[in-house]
Order: sequence, then C-alpha cells, then structure tokens
Amino acid sequence: MKEKTHVDQQSAAAAQRRSRKKTPKTGSASLCVEKNIPPRASLVNNKETNTVEGINMAHITINQYLQQVYEALDNHEGSFCAELLSFKHPHVANPRLQLPNPEDKCQQVLEPPYDEMVAAHLRCTSAAANHDFIEAYKFQTLVVQSFLKAFQAHKEENWALPLMFSVTLDLTIFANNAEQQLLKKGKGQPGDMLEKAAEQLMSCFRVCASDNRAGLDDSKKWGMLFLINQLFKIYFKINKLHLCKPLIRAIDSSTLKDEYSMAQRVTYKYYVGRKAMFDSDFKPAEECLSFSFQHCHRSSQKNKRMILIYLLPVKMLLGHMPTLQLLRKYDLMQFADVTKAVREGNLLLLTEALARHETFFIRCGIFLILEKLKIITYRNLFKTVYQLLRSHQLPLEAFLVCLRMMKVDGLDLDEVQCLLANLIYMGHIKGYISHQHQKLVVSKQNPFPPLSSVS
Amino acid sequence: NSGCSPRGTCQSMCPNRELQERESQNRLHRFETLAGTEKRAGERCRRPRADPKRTVKEYSRPAAGKDSTRPSDLRPPAVLLRTVCYLIDDIVYDFAFDRLRSVRQDMIIQRTAGPESRAVLERTVRLLAYASFRLCGEPLRLYDPRINDTHLQESLSWLLRCYDTEPGPHGNREEFQALSLLYNLGSSRVLQHTLELPERLRSSPAIALALSINRAFSERNPVRLLRLAQRLSFLQSCALHRHMAAVRRDLLLLYSHGLSSRNCRFPLPRLAKLLALDVAHAGQLCRAHQLEVHQDDQVVFSKTCFSEPEPGGLHSNGSSRLVLVASDVPRRRLEREEEIVNERRVRVIAALGF
Repeated sequence: MKEKTHVDQQSAAAAQRRSRKKTPKTGSASLCVEKNIPPRASLVNNKETNTVEGINMAHITINQYLQQVYEALDNHEGSFCAELLSFKHPHVANPRLQLPNPEDKCQQVLEPPYDEMVAAHLRCTSAAANHDFIEAYKFQTLVVQSFLKAFQAHKEENWALPLMFSVTLDLTIFANNAEQQLLKKGKGQPGDMLEKAAEQLMSCFRVCASDNRAGLDDSKKWGMLFLINQLFKIYFKINKLHLCKPLIRAIDSSTLKDEYSMAQRVTYKYYVGRKAMFDSDFKPAEECLSFSFQHCHRSSQKNKRMILIYLLPVKMLLGHMPTLQLLRKYDLMQFADVTKAVREGNLLLLTEALARHETFFIRCGIFLILEKLKIITYRNLFKTVYQLLRSHQLPLEAFLVCLRMMKVDGLDLDEVQCLLANLIYMGHIKGYISHQHQKLVVSKQNPFPPLSSVS
Repeated sequence: NSGCSPRGTCQSMCPNRELQERESQNRLHRFETLAGTEKRAGERCRRPRADPKRTVKEYSRPAAGKDSTRPSDLRPPAVLLRTVCYLIDDIVYDFAFDRLRSVRQDMIIQRTAGPESRAVLERTVRLLAYASFRLCGEPLRLYDPRINDTHLQESLSWLLRCYDTEPGPHGNREEFQALSLLYNLGSSRVLQHTLELPERLRSSPAIALALSINRAFSERNPVRLLRLAQRLSFLQSCALHRHMAAVRRDLLLLYSHGLSSRNCRFPLPRLAKLLALDVAHAGQLCRAHQLEVHQDDQVVFSKTCFSEPEPGGLHSNGSSRLVLVASDVPRRRLEREEEIVNERRVRVIAALGF
C-alpha cells in the first residue's frame, strides 16, 4: 500500500513502543467479499503471525493470556488488543484457554465491561472449536456489545479502533457461518443472521459517526469507512442495496473521505461503483470502479479480477472495449465473444455469447447490464450498413434485412424505426427518419459519432 | 310489444318502493343502514333506517304474477354503472382492503407459513393489482395509490419469498413471478431475482413474456413493449397498467427526436396502433405533448415542439380511460370490457372467499 491511514499510524505509534506491531489488514484482504474463510482454516496459514510468538500463544496459560490483555488495554495498545481478541491469532486454538466458565477468571483480572468481553471471546473460541457457529455467533455478538460499552466511555480517544475492526470483522464471518449452519438444519431465513450482524455494526457506526467532540487525531470517525465496507458486504449479500444510500451520504459529506487508507477506499469505491451500476448510473460507476482498479494493490490479482467483472461491462457500455490480453491476464475469457460481438455489431453472436455464459453472468449479477450492450451492437451494425451502402439516405428495408439475418425475430419496419429513433435520441446516430420515404437520412458529417463521445 | 323492451326510470341504486318495503320489514343490510340508527343491544323494537345513498336493489326471483318490468323499478345503464362502481370501489375495496390487512396482521403475529398462507397472499395480490388498475384516477379519499402500492409490494415480496423457501408445489408461482416483473417494470432487483430462478420456471410462457416485456423496456423499444403487452392476461395487464402512460410518453419522445423534420407526416391511425390506443385518445395524447396533429390525421413529430403535459391534465380523469391495452378495434374492446366484468366478478369473489 502506498499510503497509510491515520488510524494505522496512531495505533502503530503505540504498538511500536513495544515493537509488537503487526501489519494491519490490507485492502486486498478486506476486499475478499465473496468467500469468508472459516476461522479454523485461517489459523493454519496465518502468514502474518510471528512464529515464535505464535507458538507461545498457542500454549499460553489463561493467567498469562489475561495478563497480556490487561496490559494491552491498560497501555491503550489498540492493535495488540485487536490480536488478542482476533480469530486470526493462534491463541484461539489454544485448548488451555477454552474454559467452561471463563467469567470468574476474567472478573479477577479485568474491569467491567472488559471482563465480559474477554469471557465472551473465550466462550466463542470453545464454540468455534466445536464448529458450533450458531453459538459462536451469539458470543461474538456479546463481545461486540461489551466492547461498544467500553468504547462509548472512551472520551476523546480512538486507540481502540483496531480492536473494533477485529471484533466486528469476526462477527460478520461468524454470522455468515452461523447462517450456513442454520440453513443446513432447515432453520431460519437466508439473510436473517447477516441482518442481525448488520444491526450490531450499525450501532458501532453510530458511535463513530457521532463523535464530534474529539480532535481529528483522536476522532472515532476514522472507524466509519471500515464499518461501512463491512455493511456494504452484508447488504450486497442479502440484496438490500437501498440500505447503502445513507452510508454513502455519510461518507460523501465527510471531510475525511479522501484521508482513509487506500485499502479501505479501494473497497469502498468498489461497492459504490457496483451500486451505481445497478442504479444504471454508468458514468459514476465507471469512475468508482476505475479508481478501485487502478489503486488496488498489484499483488491482489483476485480482487482486481473481481473489480474487472463489473468495470468491463460499464466500460463497454461507454464504448471502451477490453483487449484480449487483458481478458486473458485476468482469466475473464467469458467476455471475449461478447466484446467481439459488440465490436462487430454481430447480434447473433452476442445472443449466443450471453446464452453460453449465462450462469456466470447471472451469478455475478451483470447479465442485465450486458444485455444493454445490445443497443451499442445495433449502432455498430447500422454503421456497417451505412458503410456498405455509401449513401446518406438509407432505406429502412436495408436495416430490416440486416436484422433478420441476425435472427432478431418478430421484427418489422415499425420496430426498426423505433430502434433507429432511440439511437438518434441517444445521440448515437446523427440524422432523422423520413416516414414518407421510409428512409434514414444521416448527417453528412460524422453520422455515427464515436461511442465515447456520446453517453 | 315485441322489439320494444322497457326503459328504466329509476335514478337511484334502489327503487324507492323496495327501499321502504325492506325498511319496514327490517330487511336492510348493515351496509345500507343510516349511521346511528342501527339496532343496539337491549333495544327490541327499533328498526334501522335506510340510507338512500347506500341502499342497493336486491335480487328477487321472478315469479308468476310479479311484474318485474315496471320502469320505476328498473335502473337505466348509467345508474347501473354507478351502482357497480359503488359496489366495487366503495364496498368491496374499502372493506376488503382493511380486512385483508388485518388478515396479514394475524399471519405476521403467528408467523404462519404453508399453503393456506400462500393462498391468502395470492388472493390479496390479485385484488390489489386489480385495484391499482381499476381505481387509478379515483379521488384520494376513495383510493390512495401509494398505500395500495405499499401493500401490494409487501404482500407480493412476501409471497415470492414463500415460493423461494417453502416446499412446493406452487401451482401459481409463474403467474405471480410474472406479475412482479410487470408491476415492477425495469426493476433490476426483480429482474435479477427472476434470472436466478430455475430455467424451467424462467421459460414458462407467463414469465418468458414478462421478461421479454422487460427486455423491450431496457432496450427502450416501446413499440415492441406495447405489442407484447397485448398478449398479457387480464390481471397481468392490470399489473403493467401503471407504467403504460410512461411507456406511451417514451414512444412519443423517441419518435419526436427520431422523426423530427419539417415535412414529417405520420398517419395518426398508424401511431394509434403503435400506442395501443384508439385514434381519438392517441390524438389527445399527441396534443397534450404539444405535437401538431393536422386535419387529415397526420402527426408532425418535432423534437423542439415535444414537451411534457401539464401535471394532472392527462391523469386526473383520462388515465382510467386511456388505459390498458385498449385496442382500436371496437369489437375487441367490447370483449375486453366483458372480460373485465367477468374477471372482476371472479377475482373479487375469489379474493373475499365468498
């Protein structure tokens, strides 16, 4: 990452004193929206964890663990606290920490509400170890709630933000796993758990967004974008995009919007771009997704591919066709025939290409957008007709013949007129239709303006 | 007196004679009594009074010696229509709307699921979709389109969720998936949901047609859209009806740009056919958009002339007549009217469970 967040810098300052600083989660990782790695699996290949410490942590006693938590909280070491409560950290696999009744121990060492938070965390590790994600989710909710109690009491300080990031991230992951488990048992409705998790995230968000007293450096507002990205992830998953709108407004009106870490901004723009795309606001969608693509870390090929899945259709609608090399590089050859068809004005091929990769396109949610490429394909096809006839007065019959060759069924001259009228209205064709003569009369200059100059 | 059928002269929904008779015999329905005159508990001989504005002539079996052709007992067509409108709009809708809402309330509280709940939702959606067509343009105190819309959307998405999550068979699923597509024309949320359905469902005739109509909408091809719309069933066209004005406006907008030239002459009858309107209404619509219509029924499209009509000018009373997929062939329209009346009866009865 080129830039660092203020949050990272602040927490880093504290952490560096004890030289325990871990690399913060990068945007590349937080973009991994579609697949949530189950907590157990993530323990195995946690590259970021220091091995020596990892071994220690995996065998530490409960007293040692609680002592570390106590010190980290006492020293306001947000990042280290975050690790001590994170499911990305090896201590969660430590059987010595999975007590049947951790509350007593926690109360002995920690102040409320931290004792509650850590006790719930330890219970959560037991539940996760038993692969009971429904229980785990319940305890993680408790973790977030107790955290929030403490967090609200932190006046004019924001050192705990990394901790908030970590406990809320785990909450989302557990909600997802719990939901899978419930659905497998035939219980609950899809989206129920995630929606509940979103409520928790929203209460965190409200605390962050309403922090108007603290100075810029100590503001909890630095936590907003992270939470918004988490919420976006959920809203996209449960298909409630309309809930994104107030969040986008909150960021738009924020003075910090360009100051957050690049990783968070990349994620944010990715979702905002997708949202704009579904609202058919293609220009803003293109801007957001392009930003996201350009600034996404070059090592995260998978994320760049995900961005491209949405960026490509938008670009194509605006007249920019991707090269084959690009499609090959990102393993997106599903788009190859679509691109070819649009470029050549080959409606027949377009229909075929869409049908062939229908499942992929529908799963990504871009099928409807790609269907809109038909209009541009018509434009390109009609341009060919114009080039072949070399005339400024083109009989409507010629277009009809041409469309029938493309197997566009049930078409007649009325529909041809309507198609042409639409292209004229949109500015793709300069000219007019003479109904009396059944001809399209095109401008002598530049009758088919370049696509990029139109929309 | 063959060939000369009697002409009614009764100007109210109920002949005066019958009103008095039923009042004295205490045979008034609750809907027909004057507010405040109902019989209360404990009262023995109080008779409710009739409200002449709400009493409706009841059916009586023809019998020997009974003269059922007296003009003063017969209502002429205009009064009959007023009667039907009153029955459908005020009695049925107002009453059913509220009581259906309470049915759903009971369902929500008990978190009911299963075939009965689905059947309730299906009937509710049908009535509300029908109302969205039948009552549009009525004064707000009788019908609020936004509230009707909220309830329809709620019931419909609830129903579709039931289809998604509850085990089948769902005999009417295609009908309601299609209805959702048409009622929410152009909504990417509904379209995406439909695309995620199994191919078997998607290719069923009702859904395939609704998808084609949506495709025509997204390609911005109102000519095709209006053509396809003529193939819809009655209830499906009710669902689409609220978009018709916008689609027709779009057609005029596109043609105003595409065919804009000083010499443009477009035959109105042809345009009417494309708009799925009769010639008179098509001309009215053109003029409302400031498009010139010549004496010889030729429309002059011009992008500079085209403008949006005054708000309310077209909608207030025109829209329920400018409706639907009224074709310009009179016979076809008569058939439609008949269908409407039949459907109305069937649906209303079905919705109320009579």
